[in-house]
Amino acid sequence: MKLTTGIALLLLSFTAVAQSHLDVQTTVQKEVVFENAAGEEETRLVQADRVMPGEKVIYTITFTNVSDENADNVVITNPLAKDLLYVEGSATGEGMDIQFSANDGEIFAAAAELTVTENGETRPAKAEDFTHVRWVMRNDLAAGAQGIARFAAILE
Amino acid sequence: MESASRFLAPVANLLLGASMLCAICVLPGTASAAGTAVGTLIENTASVDFTQLGVQQSTNSNTVSFVVAERIDVVVTLRSGQVAVLPGATAQALLFTVTNTGNGTEAVGLAIDSLLVGDDFDPIPALPDSIFFDTDNSGDFNVGDVAYAAGVNDPVLAADESIDVLLVNDIPGTVADGNLARSELRATAATGSGAPGTVFAGQGDAGVDAVIGTTGATAAVFGEYVVDDVTINIVKSQVVSDPMGGTEPVVGATISYTISVEVVSAGTAAAATINDVIPTWSTFVPNSITLNGTTFTDATDGDAGEYDLTGAPAVVVRLGDLTQADGLQSIVFQVTIE
Repeated sequence: MKLTTGIALLLLSFTAVAQSHLDVQTTVQKEVVFENAAGEEETRLVQADRVMPGEKVIYTITFTNVSDENADNVVITNPLAKDLLYVEGSATGEGMDIQFSANDGEIFAAAAELTVTENGETRPAKAEDFTHVRWVMRNDLAAGAQGIARFAAILE
Repeated sequence: MESASRFLAPVANLLLGASMLCAICVLPGTASAAGTAVGTLIENTASVDFTQLGVQQSTNSNTVSFVVAERIDVVVTLRSGQVAVLPGATAQALLFTVTNTGNGTEAVGLAIDSLLVGDDFDPIPALPDSIFFDTDNSGDFNVGDVAYAAGVNDPVLAADESIDVLLVNDIPGTVADGNLARSELRATAATGSGAPGTVFAGQGDAGVDAVIGTTGATAAVFGEYVVDDVTINIVKSQVVSDPMGGTEPVVGATISYTISVEVVSAGTAAAATINDVIPTWSTFVPNSITLNGTTFTDATDGDAGEYDLTGAPAVVVRLGDLTQADGLQSIVFQVTIE
């Protein structure tokens, strides 16, 4: 019994060290249209600190392999806050397959394959049904490499 | 030990589910037609699962958040149709609804404008007050309705809340039949109004920034009065036929009533209806109602007349929109003396 506990502690400490091998940073921005020096309208992304209902916000997730070892099976998952509506087609990620969940992260699938069952009737899921966005990397994330996942949502 | 861990497994899954839910937790959000409530904190955390050296691992991103700002929007809708008025009529009301379509609480200032262009005459805002709240929710202007005083009792509306407002005008005595007059209600958010996107820093609910929405935080809608100065002549006559072939009003005698209706001026008597309660000492003769010689059934059905027993027994005939061109309308029905 004592031996078992010791092994468990060892595993735990190993895991704690290993967790720092990927660094993940998220930002939230919104588009602001302003007039530049030439008098033209220009759109710029700024940090979203003041957002009104109906406005669009853009989330960017930057993940970096800060270890000396490749990481494989890399999956980024982003739950959507309940007052946010996913903007159809907005999720991007180079070298990644994009999936969604419409049932709080239980089932993930490509947008076209996802269904919702309401009152016993099954229908294709719509962008506003999505509760999670997920990016699945097709290849390994090499040591020192960085990936960027992005999506947009409308504040209800 | 093995059975214990089997028992524990579902619990661990449950906890994982709960922590994922926590990543999307939002306080104190309540979405509505007006949008997410002012001050709601919207948080976002991504997680990454990966495998390194054969060990499955997971890590979370930083949590980013923003606060929902106040969007100030005001909408005014006209509730009454064209209000028919007589020359010289006083205290004629138009009903409006003012709605806060923003996502925060706003005080709203109200103003009346009866000097609009595009009409035939200007109605005169009633004195001393011309803007009233429809306090009794009747849709009409009544004694109990409270007068509005700018800056004193500006209505304070929560997100999505609305209030009914009456504009009360007098009609000049010199106007002619068919003349139109307009009177406008303007509602403006007290925090400010102007170009959509204008920011009032720190002036929203609980000190968040307030931003002017697409309505410009001000709205104005006018209602219309139409002068309906129609003169109608109504004459009622009777012919008594007693059982002996005479004209004595004795028990058992029949009285044939004739009601003649005629518009004798310009204008339209809209939805003119004759409602004549029969004498209490009489009995209605079934199927005796005629209009210009056409008989109506007694039942309330598809035709334009009936013997109505819902209140005091009465003969009801609907003449429609009546003008001088329609000429004399003659309604006849019979009763017997009890």
